[in-house]
Amino acid sequence: MAYFLAQSGNALSLGGIYALLALGLAVVYSILGLINFAHGALMTLAGYVLVFAAVLGLPFYLSAPLAILVVMASAVLLERIAFRPVRGASGATMLLTSFAVAVLLQLAFQLFISTRPQVVPLPDFLTATVDLGSFAIGVNRVISVVVAVVVLIALNLFLKRTVLGLAMRAAADDFNVTRLMGIRANRVIATAFALSGLLAAVAAVLWIAQRSSVDPMMGLVPVLKAFIATTLGGLGSLLGAVLGGLLLGAIEIYLAAYLPDAALPFHGAITLGVVILVLVVRPQGLVGASRELGK
Amino acid sequence: MSGPSAQRATATLLGALLLVIPLAVAAVLFASFASAGLQRTYTLFLINLVAVLGLGAFSGNSGILSFGHVAFIGLGAYASAILTLPLATKASALPHLPTLLAGLEWGLPAAFVASLVLVAVFGLAVGLPIMRMGGAAAVIATLGLLLIVHGILIGATDFTRGANAFLGVPRLTNIWTALGVAVLALLVVRWFRDSAAGRQLRASREDETAAKAIGVDVLRRRLVAWTLSATIAAASGVLLAHFLGAFSPSKFYFDDTLTLLTMLIVGGMTTVSGAFFGAIVVTLTIEVLRRVESGVDVFGWETPELFGLTQAGLCVLILIVMYRRPAGMFARLELGEAWIRGWLGRAGGTPVAAASTPVAADVAPGLLRADGITKNFAGLRALDAVDLSLAPGEIVGLIGPNGSGKTTLVNVISGLILPDSGKVAVDGADVTDWPSFEVARAGIGRTFQNIRLFGQLSVLDNVETAALAARGTEAVPADPNARARELLARFGLLDLADRPASALDYGAQRRLEIARALALNPRYLLLDEPAAGMNPTESNELLRDLAALRAETGIGLLVIDHDMSLIMRLCDRIVVLNRGEKIAEGSAAEVQSNPAVIEAYIGRKRARQGASIPTSEGVS
Repeated sequence: MAYFLAQSGNALSLGGIYALLALGLAVVYSILGLINFAHGALMTLAGYVLVFAAVLGLPFYLSAPLAILVVMASAVLLERIAFRPVRGASGATMLLTSFAVAVLLQLAFQLFISTRPQVVPLPDFLTATVDLGSFAIGVNRVISVVVAVVVLIALNLFLKRTVLGLAMRAAADDFNVTRLMGIRANRVIATAFALSGLLAAVAAVLWIAQRSSVDPMMGLVPVLKAFIATTLGGLGSLLGAVLGGLLLGAIEIYLAAYLPDAALPFHGAITLGVVILVLVVRPQGLVGASRELGK
Repeated sequence: MSGPSAQRATATLLGALLLVIPLAVAAVLFASFASAGLQRTYTLFLINLVAVLGLGAFSGNSGILSFGHVAFIGLGAYASAILTLPLATKASALPHLPTLLAGLEWGLPAAFVASLVLVAVFGLAVGLPIMRMGGAAAVIATLGLLLIVHGILIGATDFTRGANAFLGVPRLTNIWTALGVAVLALLVVRWFRDSAAGRQLRASREDETAAKAIGVDVLRRRLVAWTLSATIAAASGVLLAHFLGAFSPSKFYFDDTLTLLTMLIVGGMTTVSGAFFGAIVVTLTIEVLRRVESGVDVFGWETPELFGLTQAGLCVLILIVMYRRPAGMFARLELGEAWIRGWLGRAGGTPVAAASTPVAADVAPGLLRADGITKNFAGLRALDAVDLSLAPGEIVGLIGPNGSGKTTLVNVISGLILPDSGKVAVDGADVTDWPSFEVARAGIGRTFQNIRLFGQLSVLDNVETAALAARGTEAVPADPNARARELLARFGLLDLADRPASALDYGAQRRLEIARALALNPRYLLLDEPAAGMNPTESNELLRDLAALRAETGIGLLVIDHDMSLIMRLCDRIVVLNRGEKIAEGSAAEVQSNPAVIEAYIGRKRARQGASIPTSEGVS
């Protein structure tokens, strides 16, 4: 039981990170139809900001917000420079563009920083553990869950209670109609990228809090998982992205915990296999954002 | 075989030869005169060409990108490597191999076939769930496939030596084997593109909903193309395994995926020629950049090693194409397609009989019925227990103010959306929950309010695709091509047959959409605002055409339009919807004098003053 509870903590912590990443992807996808491969590079960038801030002697409670701000600005800039020329193009065109941009950014990290992992100094409290009676759990995991929940609630409030948030939700539902209502497209899109940058950076800080290092490829795997999570939840649905992220985290952790040793080398493949099984039953994902008439 | 279909086959073959001949000539030249290094480069180019042709067979025709094809290449490579590995090497390198495999040492042909069959079966199995997802979700699923197969190749250490290099694979691929497979792949892929299945798939790429509405089983077409393309990719993998002699799972991952995708899109994803030229451009780019990457000697000055330059070059190539020419450098036309067709057209000459043969002049018994159709959209009642019937040979008008549920009713009848309750029956068969392509095949054609043509396909192909999709239904058109030309002639579009549909003017697009719907030989045709945007002359012509159509073929027509003059003159019976409810039904005179109708159209107050509904919108 204690083992199960401990694993559940891990599942929540990993699932929370996936949920943040998937939500960041979904915010952009629902508005632009762009599957943003470069999301992983944004995550990696957050890691490098933490490294440089530490070199400059900034404490963690300052370097983390700094990383978030830098990544938000970079995400907006990325849209302005790389993605605006293909706005409104076909999904394949946008996807290839973001794929090429992602690889270029990763190569830039390798060339200008280093191919080797850089250590990110973490404050002591992050590496401690909390004793919860029958089992112990790392503070970083607890914080990860708490931060993910707080960010998701805050985002929900933003989307539901503010005019800009309302415009975002309307745009996610039908961007063309929203534009006809007089909402400025550039403002909505810039906000979407800023939000996705925020979510990528928060996820990166939480990710690094459990690993304390960053390398040029850091963002690749978690963001690929987040892609899977958005599909699992229902591509284009914000709620689906969060649910998909949590579910994927759970599948991954529980399989790792309970698979027989012989099957462990196939852990990743089996995880994705389970996802595919879910999608066989629900081709539109958990929250089927199936749109009529192929809109 | 004679006539247009033979002509099309000849055009396909000539088009393929235009690519095959230079490929073979170059192979002879390389084999005779080039250095061993250059020969290897050309062989590798041929192997890559096979891979990109395979990928294009799916992605080019379906419009769905795949990040998963490198997985098929990897599986093909490992399968053939295991089957051909010399017994002695096998015993030491793969000691835990099952006895059945441990004792095998096949030659290349047997291993080639076995590997392809294996990957085809695997491709079909993974394709079943992936193709059901459709669109962007399917693309992500192909990415998942790449990850899964990579994980399996590393995890299955007994078969693959895990992440370690797989060594000692017999080097059986030379320039000639690669050429043979590449030529075969070219012919197959080119043939598939022009086949009935390929053309239907391309139609679905342009507009999935419209393809279903003309009876195309999009899911099945995608699955066939996916499996075929996986098999061709596997062929490239087999060649690669026996070309390299040694490889590890990391060979079959993101780097090669980037290369393959670049090859696919640089030339133009939708054509075989595009893939062909893309492979050439990318191979040359890689060859140049690889040399620069490892440091070159420029006038005695050694450039530093530039890590990742090749990859960066490919990325820049992708971005240039995406920003400047998203359709690819060689655009959308297949090499030689236009002039081969033109040449064959002049030589063969296909005179088209001006008089069209009526398909079913006598009115067949039967009825299209919608009973008690109710549909809610997020709490809004779009349709409330609406009944509607349409007999063959009858023209029924469906009118109502904007938002009254007319299009929703047509969408429900044509199977595009499921009603919350109610039943749709065609000649007694309950089709309520049939997918839209089956409803189409059951005899219901339709057009769309916001014209949905296959924009990049030719005018002729738009109609012919529909005629092809109708094969296998009861109403079999003898020759799809002849049928399509006949319909184009009827709607005055024959002169425009070779133009892309998107180049037509508005009225012609509306007429083309009707012609396309008729290619199915439907017994019932649902027209959603056919006269929208037409001037009075055009709409008068349309009225005449539709009336003549009914008289000749005995088809049943359901016409939605806001042009009251057209509706009142054309229809035998008119159904009026308001806020999702049927408020009146009857002859033109009956509904025109019906108080409920007048009220719905012009409001309660003016209705009391004795106004009548306008008989025409705008000037006429």
